[in-house]
Amino acid sequence: MSSESAVALRADSSAVRPVVTRFGAVLRIGILVVLGLILVQAIYVVQARPQDLITGVSGMKDLISRAMPPDYADFPNELWPALETIDIAIFGTFFAVALALPLAVLAAHNTTPARPVYYVVRALIAVFRSVPDLVWALLFVTAVGLGPFAGALAITINSMGMLGRLLAEVIEDMDMGPMDALASTGAGRLQVFSHAVVPSVLPSLMGITLYQLDANIRSSVVLGFVGAGGIGFQLLTAMNLFQYPDVALLIMMMFVIVIGAERMSAALRKRVA
Amino acid sequence: MTAIQPLIEVCDLGMRYTTGRQALQGASFAVQPGELAVILGANGSGKSTMMRIIAGMTKPTTGLVKLAGQDITTMNGRQLAEARMALGMVFQHANLIKRRSVIANVVCGTLGRHRNIFTAFGGLPAQEFGHGMRCLEHVGLSKFAYQRASTLSGGQAQRASIARALAQRPRALLADEPVASLDPEAAEEVMRLLRRLAKEDGMAVLAVLHQPDLARRYGDRLLGLRKGIIAFADAPANVTDGEIDSLYEGFHPA
Repeated sequence: MSSESAVALRADSSAVRPVVTRFGAVLRIGILVVLGLILVQAIYVVQARPQDLITGVSGMKDLISRAMPPDYADFPNELWPALETIDIAIFGTFFAVALALPLAVLAAHNTTPARPVYYVVRALIAVFRSVPDLVWALLFVTAVGLGPFAGALAITINSMGMLGRLLAEVIEDMDMGPMDALASTGAGRLQVFSHAVVPSVLPSLMGITLYQLDANIRSSVVLGFVGAGGIGFQLLTAMNLFQYPDVALLIMMMFVIVIGAERMSAALRKRVA
Repeated sequence: MTAIQPLIEVCDLGMRYTTGRQALQGASFAVQPGELAVILGANGSGKSTMMRIIAGMTKPTTGLVKLAGQDITTMNGRQLAEARMALGMVFQHANLIKRRSVIANVVCGTLGRHRNIFTAFGGLPAQEFGHGMRCLEHVGLSKFAYQRASTLSGGQAQRASIARALAQRPRALLADEPVASLDPEAAEEVMRLLRRLAKEDGMAVLAVLHQPDLARRYGDRLLGLRKGIIAFADAPANVTDGEIDSLYEGFHPA
């Protein structure tokens, strides 16, 4: 009985398998060809020329030799822009959290007051997030003028998008039981929010915020390139004036700021978790 | 007037969903102060619909629900919320806010009567902590007051959730499968507590249970619900096992 069915099975599989295998092989080769074509067009479009890399080495060497030693004497003058860079990130992160929390409540399907509100806020968050902060900074420089405030606003808007989406997801994953229980005792909407939702999402909120602060310090370093203040603006100016020792100092300062922010954020997140 | 007013009164309750399904039909009963009534019924018998209507979350198509003499089926908004305060709710899960202390969870039960800016933004009414402690004492958990709610066992958490319901100062309790997710020992503990609240504090307790033996031992009255109709409503001694089994006909025990 069992040997009979085994034979039947084998006969059956030998009849079907080769077809599947042949089709699978063709499919695999097809995918590889397509991936190869995508890579080739990318190499063509970016005008990659390996020989430029080799000739570029001497140019790089020249640049580094002219940048050394870094202009340490300029350090005191760069402290204020460095503080600006950090404060742009702190301002942006703080206000982004304050504004993203109510947005997230409206953009989570389990807490939103109405379907249309959900869609409108989700779309708004998508716009905030998908337009890069550098572009927001360009827009705000036009609106409020050159300087750190434009950068701070850009960071605020972009982070609102990032945090809004992440927080909405945290709220959606939340256990609804405590909310229902509080509502059943006669607590109001805002009371349910502040007493049940906030305590449940607080650890995630702090972790996400610290991560965002780290990311914002990294962005705020380059925001100066479009005139939105901070150490990036100093770098742009030094580059344009060919003051390479100054450039070297600024790059070192950026390194310290970014790594420092990353380390601090990671250490604090470990404490929160 | 010497007649005792029932705290939960359901008259000719009927519910037909827009899908055309008749979930409840002509259901009438009352729960007196000091009484623990138990609703038994299979899935789809209309238990959940009944609970939702009594809790004021759904409006019935016919009939009325009186909580401490007030008909809540005609009420809405603020008025409903205030009438509902006479009724405390206990759920299948304790639904505590795990990161907060046990006492904070209990005091949360009083938020409904302290609506102000301070409590709207996460503050707890300081004057209610004494009352909250008494509620915790009542359920035998006062020594856990300052622990995080996440440290409680299943049975303790459920008792803490009952303390939160008591903090609301209700006159009746509605318990929706309060022991369904507890081990047998914890289940007995919670049932003893519900019984004590009825007997010693004169509350009206209405509980949905899935365990006929618990219902028999703790209930003063059993209400059998079958296909939206109350099949029997009597003291446990007057209800036969056959009558209870008939509720679950065609259903396999989970």
